[in-house]
Amino acid sequence: MTTGARGVSGKGKWSAAVRAVAILTGTVLLAGAAGCTAASPQSAPAAQARNQGGRATGTSTAHHAASRTATQAHDTAACNPVASSLRPAPGPPQVTPGSFMAKILERGYLIAGVSQSTYNFGYFNPLTGKTEGFDIDMVHAVAQAIFGNPDKVEFRGITDDQREPDVSNGSVDIVAETMTILCSRLKKVYFSSVYFEANTRVLVLKNSTATGLASLGGQKVCATAGSDSAGIISSYPVTPRLVLVTAPQFTDCLVLLQQGQVAAVSTDDAILAGLHAQDPFTKVVGPLLAPQPYGLAIAKQHPDFVRFVNAVLAQYEADGGWAASYARWVGSPAPNPPAARYAD
Amino acid sequence: MVSGAALKTSGAAGAVGNAASAPSRRFRVDVSTTPDRLRLLLLVVVLLSLAWGGLAAFTVNQYSSAASGVVAVREPLSLDAQQIYRHLSDADNTAATAFLAGGLEPPAVRQRYLADIQAAGTEIENATAQGGATLGGAAKDLATLSEDLPSYAGEIETARADNRQGFPLGAAYLREASGLMRSTLLPAAGDMYTTENASLNATSAQATGLPLVIITLAVGLGIVVVLFLASRWLGRRTHRVLNLGLLLAGAAAVIALAWLAVAYAGARGDLLAAQSRGSAPVEALARADITALQAHADESLTLIDNGSDNGTYQATYLRQQHALGPGPGTLLTLAETAAGGSQAAGGATAAAGDAQAWYAAHARLRALDDNANHAAAVRSALGSGHSDAGTAFAKLSADFATGIAGGQADFAASASSGADAFTGLEPGVIAAALVMAAGCAWGLSRRLAEYR
Repeated sequence: MTTGARGVSGKGKWSAAVRAVAILTGTVLLAGAAGCTAASPQSAPAAQARNQGGRATGTSTAHHAASRTATQAHDTAACNPVASSLRPAPGPPQVTPGSFMAKILERGYLIAGVSQSTYNFGYFNPLTGKTEGFDIDMVHAVAQAIFGNPDKVEFRGITDDQREPDVSNGSVDIVAETMTILCSRLKKVYFSSVYFEANTRVLVLKNSTATGLASLGGQKVCATAGSDSAGIISSYPVTPRLVLVTAPQFTDCLVLLQQGQVAAVSTDDAILAGLHAQDPFTKVVGPLLAPQPYGLAIAKQHPDFVRFVNAVLAQYEADGGWAASYARWVGSPAPNPPAARYAD
Repeated sequence: MVSGAALKTSGAAGAVGNAASAPSRRFRVDVSTTPDRLRLLLLVVVLLSLAWGGLAAFTVNQYSSAASGVVAVREPLSLDAQQIYRHLSDADNTAATAFLAGGLEPPAVRQRYLADIQAAGTEIENATAQGGATLGGAAKDLATLSEDLPSYAGEIETARADNRQGFPLGAAYLREASGLMRSTLLPAAGDMYTTENASLNATSAQATGLPLVIITLAVGLGIVVVLFLASRWLGRRTHRVLNLGLLLAGAAAVIALAWLAVAYAGARGDLLAAQSRGSAPVEALARADITALQAHADESLTLIDNGSDNGTYQATYLRQQHALGPGPGTLLTLAETAAGGSQAAGGATAAAGDAQAWYAAHARLRALDDNANHAAAVRSALGSGHSDAGTAFAKLSADFATGIAGGQADFAASASSGADAFTGLEPGVIAAALVMAAGCAWGLSRRLAEYR
């Protein structure tokens, strides 16, 4: 570690150092498992983050993710994520005077927090110089409904762990970033009705014999800090426990997988399909681990905007826009859109 | 040994002066008669001359090898380390700029990146070859550099290939590469530069240090005094006004001393000038330049990540801007002060002004990006128009290059003239010592012959 910290001995020895830490961590986790406790905060991600040079994520975020999942498990009974949103007013979406939509209209553009790196959902396309994807089309539909122009949007790239804070503190109006509707998140933000249904799976290299998280015990699995997937990995019941490695974005996880620094990436199949499309020498394996209904996140202060966006989604799904976008970005033919269910 | 000879000299001179009244106990037997005294004097002055010749040759050798070490070894190594540091910073910066431009990066930017990587590679090889065993602490840094540079370049090429296919994975590889550059390569290069610069300053201090030359000059002056006293005593004793041999020896000593003093003073002046007008401004400018390059990379990376970095790159940019200045204690102001009166002054002064123009352009770029105009912000970063951030940075970069080139020219001129000051001096002092010894021997033995 000491020599590695200066990078003196190069990458090869680095990985060795990281491996050593990982083994150590594995031992710690075994001890933790023996004591029947939840996964403890791990040092491997922190070492990993340092190894990757300035990727300032790591232990604390992983810990948050773990505790968030614990919360989620605790209060799942109290709410139904797929029927949690607010019913829109009948008819097409209307920008009512004094509403949050009116303020956005006055500003001249919608501010959307999106991913810049989630291939086919929200990513910066170097070929067009634009942010594109299925998530992005949802935002364009909202902008169309407010301005009559789908392009009146500023797309802000945000990391997964910034989605809740950024929408809550008003630095973005809406988040469209493969965001799973969770009961724990519903306490802090509103979600629109479900616009996509994903499910957690696992991405490994093509020559891997792993058939899912169950066969990856003791190995390193990557997910983004602040994602639901990080929580699933760190609490997955397998012995020895999985070693969670966090990175800022899922493309960073693919880099780690390609470099052999992690054994697998686990997250929503929608995201994994995008990673697989960028590296055909990978494959998506394993059972569907947990349903991930996606919603657009909106601040607690703006229920009017939630109803408005739900009206937009209903219209978008009815007029075939949703199906066209699905066919373009996810796969053809498009299935029926998820049925909208509301809490009220 | 030197002081022993000097003591003996004064003892002998004293004995010579008081010879008639009370010869010292130690020399009682030897100096009872004038021929005996002459014989002793002859032995002393010949040995003194030869000893001084040895001392003077040693002194000259010390100074001239330190001075040529500055010019031929230390300065090139320090410059090499500085160039490695600069080329790596520029590669980091240029890779980000090329990426920002999209899949089809401007050929000039691509060329510049490749030239940076190639130059850094060559310089690392050179430093390894030149340094050999004398590198010390820098050897470790060089090993890091030569191991990790290929990894870095590989990651950049992967980033490029992915970007060309329209994959966001390219941006992840760029982040990875930049992280490796910033966490491993640049610190090693910076560390090596600091080490090399310290060695340069230490060798330069050796070449300009006072003690040894003062001792040699003092001993030489002492011998001249002895020769003078000896010839006065001889004149009184033998009623000859001049002893040609002693006169010749004295003249040789005076010439050698004058040459040594002038050469030393000239070399010292030149080397100090090389330091103050050359290496000091170059170092200060290089530090500012490297900081500016890193800040520029931050500007590009902020735009590439478009917010996904949670503002960390912009925060680093602002830290670098703060370190750059201008303002009291900042890199640009330090560079301007250091460059005052040298050929680097023009570049340093222009840099201080152009840096502020770049900050202003950067602020406009950020305002564009923060107000839903990412595309315009990218155009400004890459642009060559009057108010574009790209233009402002190119200007600043050119200022640094001009200043550094000026400082290096000053250094090269002064330092090599400093090293040249000692040319021929070492054989010169040896010849002078031989002339002194021969002169004394000849002059005194002729007198001695008169007693036979």
